[in-house]
Amino acid sequence: MTDKKVDTTPVLVLDKLEKSFGSNKALKGVSFTINPNEVIGLIGENGAGKSTLLKILTGIYQTDAGTIEVNGKKVKFRNPRESVASGIGVVHQEQSLFTNLTVAENIAMNSGSGSSATSKFGFYSWGSIFKSATKTLATIGSKLDPRAIVGDLPFVDRQMVEIARAISVNAGTSGYPLVILDEPTSVLERNETEVLEREIRKIKEFGSVIFVSHRLDEIMRNCDRIIVMRDGELVADRSVNDVTEDELFKLMVGHEAHSLTHARKGLDGAEVPAIEIKDLNRKGKFSNVNFSVRAGRLTAIVGATGSGREDLARALFGAEKIDSGSLMLSGKPVKNWRIPKAVKAGIGYVPSERKVEGMIGGFTAAENVTFTHPGKAAVGPFLIPGARKKIAQSWFDTLDVRPNDISQELGRFSGGNQQKVVMAKWLNSPELRVLILDHPLRGLDPGAAQTVNEQIKLACEKGAAVILLADTLEEALEMGDEVLVMRDGEVTSAFDLAKDNPSTLDLLERMV
Amino acid sequence: MNFSLASTDEQRENLSTLKRKLGRSWQSVGALVVFVAMLALVAISTPTFIGNGGITIIASATAPIVMVALGQALVLNIGSIDLSNASITVLGALLLAMTLGPLGGLAPLVVIIAVTLFGAVNGLLIAFTQVPSFALTLGTFGIFQSAALVVSGATTIYVSQNGGLISVLFQSGIAGLPFTYLLGVLLAVLAWLFLRFTRAGMAMTAIGKNESGAIFSGVKTRWLKVLAFAMSGFMSGMAGIAIIAQAGSASPMGLGSDLLLPGIAAAIVGGTSISGGVTNPINVVFGSMTVALVPIATAAIGVESQAQSLVYGIVIIVTVALTLSRSSNSIVK
Repeated sequence: MTDKKVDTTPVLVLDKLEKSFGSNKALKGVSFTINPNEVIGLIGENGAGKSTLLKILTGIYQTDAGTIEVNGKKVKFRNPRESVASGIGVVHQEQSLFTNLTVAENIAMNSGSGSSATSKFGFYSWGSIFKSATKTLATIGSKLDPRAIVGDLPFVDRQMVEIARAISVNAGTSGYPLVILDEPTSVLERNETEVLEREIRKIKEFGSVIFVSHRLDEIMRNCDRIIVMRDGELVADRSVNDVTEDELFKLMVGHEAHSLTHARKGLDGAEVPAIEIKDLNRKGKFSNVNFSVRAGRLTAIVGATGSGREDLARALFGAEKIDSGSLMLSGKPVKNWRIPKAVKAGIGYVPSERKVEGMIGGFTAAENVTFTHPGKAAVGPFLIPGARKKIAQSWFDTLDVRPNDISQELGRFSGGNQQKVVMAKWLNSPELRVLILDHPLRGLDPGAAQTVNEQIKLACEKGAAVILLADTLEEALEMGDEVLVMRDGEVTSAFDLAKDNPSTLDLLERMV
Repeated sequence: MNFSLASTDEQRENLSTLKRKLGRSWQSVGALVVFVAMLALVAISTPTFIGNGGITIIASATAPIVMVALGQALVLNIGSIDLSNASITVLGALLLAMTLGPLGGLAPLVVIIAVTLFGAVNGLLIAFTQVPSFALTLGTFGIFQSAALVVSGATTIYVSQNGGLISVLFQSGIAGLPFTYLLGVLLAVLAWLFLRFTRAGMAMTAIGKNESGAIFSGVKTRWLKVLAFAMSGFMSGMAGIAIIAQAGSASPMGLGSDLLLPGIAAAIVGGTSISGGVTNPINVVFGSMTVALVPIATAAIGVESQAQSLVYGIVIIVTVALTLSRSSNSIVK
């Protein structure tokens, strides 16, 4: 090692961390070290123990055994405040900003509301709050107005505020800050991701980073070293130069990746498209959109933020108003389009806001599966709980939902397993005509993502027309029969993947 | 070694499921346990109370409360609240007292249809104007109250003819329990069956748990809200009938007008969540009995009248603390 710095005290040393929840061992003796100015990629499937580890580092959980050293000092965090005080800042998977406060106030939350830097005798010192916020924002090269209300900012700017808050942890302390980025990219668009990646390089100049992501390509691009967890154990700790994406997948999941190239049969016999739209308009969202999807085919729509593809998808499901144009299902035009009508007509929608829109977290998994399309679990207006259990159990077995407990509240399952249930909710319809998927793989580990993708293909084979808003261009090209590119509310190009073979660059050019 | 480890794991697993089940069953019998404990306390300190028709007194005091509380529970279950239910009860009772003479047996039917429509109007206004139910029913509470004053001329209305048609509900019963009370229990069972075994009932609970999720599952949330408020109107009207059966008269400021808070208290003591999505109508019956018993019990034991409200408040807080389900929400509103 030829470090330019004299100071080589590791930022973080973990030694044989253990943590159990009841009979479940979430961490089985995890040890690793993070050096100054290092970016560590932390990967693993849902349930591998990543979240538990992060919660220990941020003081939410306490370890059963093992030691933690931060900047050379042994620590035992009893609460999040102690973790922040020692210089560990977190950017959470789901944003945890106060949207009704200013940027500066949000950043100040981490420097400690009781500290003399931001308040005197419990009163805000507005001048110093704004000054220190400006300074922190400058460190990460952001030109955000510290006086702006966070709720008014676009998503990517909010993420900048989160990062600024995370790095403001060591405003008072010496030593290197450790910034934990917990799946920060799972909700970002591609160009926004680039902004974030630039930030990671900035933070690296004065601190260290733990970067958690399910996207292996990002991990490979941004990290110096990669730590892989599986079943509560550390299965690999490799320099990024010594490992490939395929190896990482295998280390994470325990088996090779299945190829997902479209070997679909396709129901080309169907002449009339399952869904067809003509000159569809919604003011300020999308304009003059035309396309059709035949039964058994998958159309992927790609576009940057503001392309209007999300609004279009929601409009097709009746969740947003259509100003003009026509929507036809199997050749029949529809009117006064609302969600209940769409559901009745055999349209399914898997929203990107899974917890809010996709499911009833307080219902059991079984109730969620049969809620919209009960099948045999209802006779007329009456419910048949016995049949409900049978249907749910068969879906649980098909989709390998873990834990295999249909009577548990859906809100208690991990994200990947919740998404499997949300898929089952629509696939349980015997007459699924159109399936609209809004970022179906968002936040999913590769194993769950594969299950969901297989179900999407299966839905196609059973004769559903699928409209997919993919997270990545690669996903769109891999899954789609056709790819539509949208920009500023209009479809700019369409590729039939049976004939054309566009690269991701071709798509990207038409998106921006 | 491995085997013994697995078996302890299994035991621990069993223990935790047992704990969960116990917790769940405590929630379902908590209100009943509190009621029985209070009744036992009364029976010990005043042995004559139960022999002298005390049970009948409790049951008849419970009847109007349980009906109002059931309506409130159905509305709370969709995440709304109905502050106008007691004024609908009074209006319903007045209408019944006025129409029983001319219409006879048809009168209760007409009144029930009218109050159900009043409730439906509440629901329609909430669903289609998006005014929060708290504000809207606070408004209609005043409107129904004014209507009660106007139709009655601000005086007590006595049932002039055909009074026996209704008072029979109070004067006879089974095993000392008047029919008004038994009717309340029957309505509770029907409400329970509705919530548990119908698609509409389940969809209502879904609205209370996560309204967006319900909308995106294709639930017609607006019409279900109208239905929930119409049911609350119906239940309030039934309470009005119970009042006429018991008193033979109605007045705009008299019996029934103070049912709003006991109704809410009974629903909550029965395990209904204020934030929506959790209720069990059977437990609302026990909640209502508890709420009805407190003033009777404090009087029977001989608590000074100034302190009765204090005891009432403490009983409600303790029971809710014991029976509330804390598992689903980390933050309990």
